[in-house]
Amino acid sequence: MRTDARTSSAVAVPRRVRRALLVIALAVLAVPFVVPTIWMVAASVKPLAEIFDAPPSLWTDSPTLSAYAEAFTFQPFARQYVNSVYIAVVVTAITLLVSSLAGYAFARIRFPGANALFLVVLTGLLVPSEVTIVPLFQLFKRAGLINTHWPLILVTSLAAPCVLATFIMRQFFIALPLELEEAARLDGLGRPAIWMRICLPLAKPALSAVAILTFLASWNLYLEPTVYLTSPEMFTLPQALTRFTDAYGGQMWNTQLAAATMTVLPMLIVFVLAQRHFVEGLAHSGLK
Amino acid sequence: MIRAKKVLTAVALTTALGLAAACAGPSPEAPGTAAELRMTVWTSNEAQLKLLTSIGDAYRADHPEVSKITFESLPFADYNTTLTTQIAGGNAPDLAWMGDLSKDLIASDALVGLTDKLKATDGWQYDDLLGSVTAEFSRDGTLYAYPFSNSPFALYVNTDLLAKAGQKVNPATLTWDQVAAAGAAVHAKTGKAGFVIRDFDYKSWNTLATVWTGWGAAAWSADGKTCTFASPEMEQAFTFLHDAAFKTKAMPGPGTTADFFAGDAAFTIAQVSRASLLTGSFKFGLYALPTGPAGKYAVLGQAGVGVLASSKHQDQAKDFLVYLTNPVNAEKLAQFFPPPRKSLLTGAKLAANNKVLNATQLQTAVVDQLPNAVTLPNHTSPAEIAQKGKTALDAMWRADADIPAVLRSVCTAIEPILAK
Amino acid sequence: MTTTTQPPEQVVVPAAAKARRASGPSFWTTRRRDVLTGYLFILPQLAGVAVFVLLPVGMAIWYSLNDWNVFTGKQTFVGGENYAALADDPQLPKVLLATVIFSGGVVVVNITLGLLIAVLLNRRFRGVTLFRTLFFSPVVVSVVAWTLVWGFLLQDNGGINGLLGAVGIDGPNWLQHGDTAMVSVVITQVIRSVGVNMVLFLAALQGVPEELYEAARIDGASSRSVFARITLPLISPTLLLTVIVTVVGALQSFAQIAVLTGGGPELSTTVLVYYVFQQAFEFNDIGYGSTLALMLLSFVMLLTLLQWQLRRKWVFYED
Repeated sequence: MRTDARTSSAVAVPRRVRRALLVIALAVLAVPFVVPTIWMVAASVKPLAEIFDAPPSLWTDSPTLSAYAEAFTFQPFARQYVNSVYIAVVVTAITLLVSSLAGYAFARIRFPGANALFLVVLTGLLVPSEVTIVPLFQLFKRAGLINTHWPLILVTSLAAPCVLATFIMRQFFIALPLELEEAARLDGLGRPAIWMRICLPLAKPALSAVAILTFLASWNLYLEPTVYLTSPEMFTLPQALTRFTDAYGGQMWNTQLAAATMTVLPMLIVFVLAQRHFVEGLAHSGLK
Repeated sequence: MIRAKKVLTAVALTTALGLAAACAGPSPEAPGTAAELRMTVWTSNEAQLKLLTSIGDAYRADHPEVSKITFESLPFADYNTTLTTQIAGGNAPDLAWMGDLSKDLIASDALVGLTDKLKATDGWQYDDLLGSVTAEFSRDGTLYAYPFSNSPFALYVNTDLLAKAGQKVNPATLTWDQVAAAGAAVHAKTGKAGFVIRDFDYKSWNTLATVWTGWGAAAWSADGKTCTFASPEMEQAFTFLHDAAFKTKAMPGPGTTADFFAGDAAFTIAQVSRASLLTGSFKFGLYALPTGPAGKYAVLGQAGVGVLASSKHQDQAKDFLVYLTNPVNAEKLAQFFPPPRKSLLTGAKLAANNKVLNATQLQTAVVDQLPNAVTLPNHTSPAEIAQKGKTALDAMWRADADIPAVLRSVCTAIEPILAK
Repeated sequence: MTTTTQPPEQVVVPAAAKARRASGPSFWTTRRRDVLTGYLFILPQLAGVAVFVLLPVGMAIWYSLNDWNVFTGKQTFVGGENYAALADDPQLPKVLLATVIFSGGVVVVNITLGLLIAVLLNRRFRGVTLFRTLFFSPVVVSVVAWTLVWGFLLQDNGGINGLLGAVGIDGPNWLQHGDTAMVSVVITQVIRSVGVNMVLFLAALQGVPEELYEAARIDGASSRSVFARITLPLISPTLLLTVIVTVVGALQSFAQIAVLTGGGPELSTTVLVYYVFQQAFEFNDIGYGSTLALMLLSFVMLLTLLQWQLRRKWVFYED
């Protein structure tokens, strides 16, 4: 497996060639992962008439940023951007708190019914949103919360994505050595203090994994915002992306692609910068 | 793809369906307060909204009992689902534009009858309305929505592209066979598409009525109860389309995009109103639909405006509708939408406000067509019929399709819904 | 994954606590205080699940027993009529078949590809970080944007066939034939989401102790048997988790189907969740839609339960 350490069976191909072959294979495999994004960016600076050129190309002789400008004049796109960001941040913060509390309790505190309650919580992971969306709409309508961001924040930070987070946190805390806590208890620390002062600082890898997964889940929500939000200045980005249509319902493709590019690039940049933490986070999160 | 996106957003909106019943408590208005009216429209065109607002303002000036008239612009793609959601959620507008949702609304008594009020209003001139355009929005002789837009389908020709391929057509005597032949020649010569039925995209099959009507075929009987898809006329029409897609290549096959207005096709069938999409990058002609084996024919797409039965201000809403559609305002609306009034339907009058099309074009493609035009197939449960029919018709779009068998399967699929 | 491990038995009460308890006997013993803290800690999560998951499921069951007219808002109790309709629905068998093929396809391809990429990337060479980023990048692209772009690329005169044509292959009309349409939705779905599984597998692979490999090598085991006998068993807990999450995700893929194929051609890609959507939201049949949704829910539950029961057979636990 680890070619680095491989010394036996040295006969065959020299290491350098094997490495080159590996890189070539990976590069070929990566094509379908990368080309759509590149195509999207390339098409967003093309004049509308060239987007559907056959055969498709990544090049244009007359690049234009007009679609980017159009995205902001056609809809309150900047506002929608802010909406998406702040909702994702709030959701992530609440999820981190709720899941680290519940995950810690399920992993470390013995109380009657813990296992049964854990199973109840886990059902939250299995119920498809299609089952709950209509009843939820009714509930939120009764509460007068339609066309506010509350449904998005509450459901996302307390139901499905948060349940996954609770699960991850529980797995992490179970794997944590018990001695640390015992020492703290000897010092007279109570549970809340142990959770906050001892366990949370140690849980950074798991917390960062949870943060990234939750942020992405909120950022990509599509069904829920379309259901709960009705006015453009309340929209979130995925929902706004589908609204770039002209008076006949025809798609304004270049504007849409420009807007899509603007939603994707920041996430990609953040990911590239943070990817080491992310992978390490998952690696040490106990999710294995 | 467009439909797919529509679907996506639709999720949303209709989800609201569920919403409705329980929580839809009407909030009682304090007596004596002036009414606020809301009308949903699908245009986001500024000039059109400005016109509507100015008519609303003029009305309010004379009617203090109406304090506010809002025109709510909903996205076209989600219009039906959004409107359904609002109705189901107890948040229905007072007035609404409607397209193919009209049959469902009329059938479920969600609209208010207009005929008596319109006839009783001095100077409104009910008899000025063209019979062929009111049928779609009527039940048992009562009109439920005013057909403010009656846009016939027309043949758009890219004359530059035809010239490039050495083709010439005579619009006066043009037949579908000639269109197919010229289209095939253009495709063979230039690689561009021949003819495109706009918005069909091998999904929205009801737009094919712009073709099969020329063969004398119809989707279902006039009473909407019997499927007529398996008729010999329909079979011939689909044989023509199938040949065009798979043999002569006069029509781009499934999975191929070609936009006439971007210069990708020699011909397209689209509503006259789409002329606004022409950018001037090529020379074009606009004519009546080509002649089919059954002779000359015309097809139109319509939009109406009606008053919702659930409106808390039904009387005021009705009164405003009468004002909005009176002869004076109808003439103003006619600059954007082909009107239903005979008095307004002349090429010269229509051309006065049209920047793209001239009087002759409008006379032949609009005015001459309306009196005998049939509408696109419309029925209650339009979404379900569209989906079931589409699923059955998918089998048609293969090179080796058994055309009569596929058409029979369409009837099998949609008959239970027609019978409902 | 060690979900079955019980929380440790109450540790021997530390001396300090004992002392504290002795000094002031009160109702709030450490044990009681602990139990209360436990409940308080899980309260927000439990309440969230109760209000936003369990309650709506109960309401959906009620909807499935009713008929709705969305235009008038009238609700009529119809008992088991919607459930009886399941048996009479001529489209349902095709939908279920498509659901099985799609979900099965997604799980198999996703797990295999994820594992393959993880194994290839689980070594040190220049560019490994770059590749990890590339393979993960689609995960951060919104589903709608991602699928729209693939829709263009998969057209008959689109980018995929252009590429195939360049190397002399006459590509099929991907989205217009049942088989290739199914392949298209499976592949686009997998490529978009395999990054998460890849990272999880990478994490698991890096957790396999190096000594085990050394030992196997000394015993002269081939790399294939090292993978089968050491690697796979040691990462099997991760495999179980990823399989469950991937199955649940596949059964809920809606946007991909809606944007790419609209369920066609001829129902070939109409998976259950898309069918639920059509009935409830396009045909305005909330009752039947809810019935179908509950059927979907019972499938997910059953599958998960099955995998959970079977895990003892193939999942290796270190403890």
